[in-house]
Amino acid sequence: MPLPSVSVESVTKRFSGHTAVNRLSLEVSAGGIFGLLGPNGAGKSTMIRLIMGILEPDEGRVSLFGSAHGSRKLSARIGYLPEERGLYKKMKVLDHLIFLGETKGISRADARRRAQAWLERLGISEWALKKVEDLSKGMQQKVQFAGALLHEPELVILDEPFSGLDPVNAQVMKDIVVEIAASGRTVLFSTHVMEQAERMCDHIAIIARGETVVSGTVAQVKADFGGRHVALGFSHDKSRAETILADRSLIARVDDYGASAELQMADGADPEQLLAALVHAGVGLRRFEVVEPSLHAIFIAKVGADAAVAHAGAAA
Amino acid sequence: MKKIIAVIRREFVERVRTRAFLISTILLPVFIVLMAVLPGLMMSGSDRASRVAVVDASSVGLGQSVSQAMLTERLGDGPDTEARYSVQVFPATAANLAAVRDDLIASTGFSSKKQKDGWDGVLVLTDDTLASGKLAYYGSNVGAMQSMSKLQRSVSNALAGVRLGKSGVDAALVKRAMAPADMDTTKVSDGKLTGQSGEDSFLIAYFMGFVLYISILLYGQQTMTSVIEEKTSRIMEVLTSSLTPFQMLLGKVLGVGMAGLAQMAIWGGSVFLVSSQRAHLAGLFGMSADAVHSFPIPSMAPGLLVVFLLYFTLGFLLYGALYAAIGAMCNTIQETQQYAVFVTMSILVGFFSVFSLIKDPTGSLGVTMSYIPLFAPFTMPVRWSLSSVPPLQLALSLGLMVLALLACVWLAARIYRTGILMYGKKPSWRELLRWIRA
Repeated sequence: MPLPSVSVESVTKRFSGHTAVNRLSLEVSAGGIFGLLGPNGAGKSTMIRLIMGILEPDEGRVSLFGSAHGSRKLSARIGYLPEERGLYKKMKVLDHLIFLGETKGISRADARRRAQAWLERLGISEWALKKVEDLSKGMQQKVQFAGALLHEPELVILDEPFSGLDPVNAQVMKDIVVEIAASGRTVLFSTHVMEQAERMCDHIAIIARGETVVSGTVAQVKADFGGRHVALGFSHDKSRAETILADRSLIARVDDYGASAELQMADGADPEQLLAALVHAGVGLRRFEVVEPSLHAIFIAKVGADAAVAHAGAAA
Repeated sequence: MKKIIAVIRREFVERVRTRAFLISTILLPVFIVLMAVLPGLMMSGSDRASRVAVVDASSVGLGQSVSQAMLTERLGDGPDTEARYSVQVFPATAANLAAVRDDLIASTGFSSKKQKDGWDGVLVLTDDTLASGKLAYYGSNVGAMQSMSKLQRSVSNALAGVRLGKSGVDAALVKRAMAPADMDTTKVSDGKLTGQSGEDSFLIAYFMGFVLYISILLYGQQTMTSVIEEKTSRIMEVLTSSLTPFQMLLGKVLGVGMAGLAQMAIWGGSVFLVSSQRAHLAGLFGMSADAVHSFPIPSMAPGLLVVFLLYFTLGFLLYGALYAAIGAMCNTIQETQQYAVFVTMSILVGFFSVFSLIKDPTGSLGVTMSYIPLFAPFTMPVRWSLSSVPPLQLALSLGLMVLALLACVWLAARIYRTGILMYGKKPSWRELLRWIRA
């Protein structure tokens, strides 16, 4: 059993009165993609800053690669993309990447070569000699992304890596993340977009209010949650479905998206029963599928929609 | 170490590349040249030859003696320089004095373009002049103190000569007796001549204080601003994961410092060029060489240069570290003012102490201040330049400087470590203490 890349043991962090992270434990084993999920203000960024040693925990212990040295000593092995993106605005893109590489301990010539390769790969090589401030936000984010990965770290920690990216660029970044994991390295990233994590992650931890709600492999989390779930797509006459969906003997929970919905069947109720009822009522169906519960549904069920919303509003 | 060099290089290169650096580097030497040349220009402007009409209403031909005395006055020191005055004597009597005088005044005070044969001034001599020394001058340049005192001196000399001649003293003897005294001042240090004149010492002292004052204010503030910029651009968060606060702080202070020193070197070089080529330059500006030499650019003795550079570097780094620490405490430039005012004040105290030191370089004030690391970089080079400093005092002062610098970097790094990521919150003094202790 190799040492875990990241091990967080019962860590607590308080900020002037309010507890951002409360006795939180998690373990990221080497290799694969680990998703740290949660609504805004759940404590994801605080957790990542604690892991990076930017913040000191009030209680508990963080160790990286089984060593308690802290990220700075191990920085050559870690790549970090903070939530708050920051670059020197007046610096030229290539110079900036070289500088970031140098702070990770790679030689200047090596950093230059790798920076050029990364810019090429991200399709922004023609911007290499432009100032950072002349780039669009999306491009700046790509540059920062490259900066975090330039030194080929074995552990990559990304705080909300896909936020603020258009679908095309998000796709490029996603491919890179998947490729890093495929090469046997470890990726830990945080996101509040459950669907994304669901598709990419091997392991996840959902946190809310600074505490772990659920964690494990995606399959395990879904299996543990249990229940039967149905995904519906409506084509017409959705209003006729309302009484059926409100029937608690048939359906335990509805997650209504308007044109579609995700349902959790009540104990003892069959999806066939539901389908029959819907067809009988004359509801136009585009889709009817018995599915695994989505992480989103699990999250809502575990945390409670109200709590998630309220918390998202309260924290920053 | 490699990382510190990377930080130093970044700070240096990014700073030197900016347009602001280029502009300030070019403009300051221009400013220096103007500073060097303008006083000369102004002096030569007021020092041009003037046409003076001498109205002689005396009965003893006083006008002749006065005009002779005036004609011996030259604009410069050399024998081939232009005569200071061109003089014409208009004899008058007590009866027509007013008419002659008013007639001449009517053609006085025009620019030479407007009226070529106009007068710059009218000097009126009467019998009363010889008896009581009273005379009148009407002219366009009465505001030029130096010109007036020169004129007065010429007239006084002439009057003294006439008076002595009337008492039967030989004219040649009078001339010898009236030869002016000409004093050269030279500084002595450790019983040896340094070759500096008193004026040079003053200028050097002033210059050194000024350079340090300007560069600390300019580059110290830049260090502070750049720390704050790093915090607001959030690049800090990436950097803290790979660099220690000490590496970041030292790299920043040294990098900004080196950019400052590079600029100083460019300026220093241009001062050197200006001073070595000033005769040539003067020609370009259409000045007489003499006017330039009346505003000397002194050269520094090698020992003084070493002392100055030593203190300059130490002081520069000390204040840089202080400013960086303030930057780490605050989130906006506005916030920094509350703390920066203390630093600015000690810079000002240091700078202005130079002026009292120039008057009394060996006093206890100067000695005390050379032991206070924040002031020593200002006071010590000045003391060294104006008086002889005991080696023990120099060593002690330098030792204290180095200690203070280390303490300051340490302290700043402590604050930096905690303060760097304190977004949106200004620490109280008590919190600050806790950061340092943590």
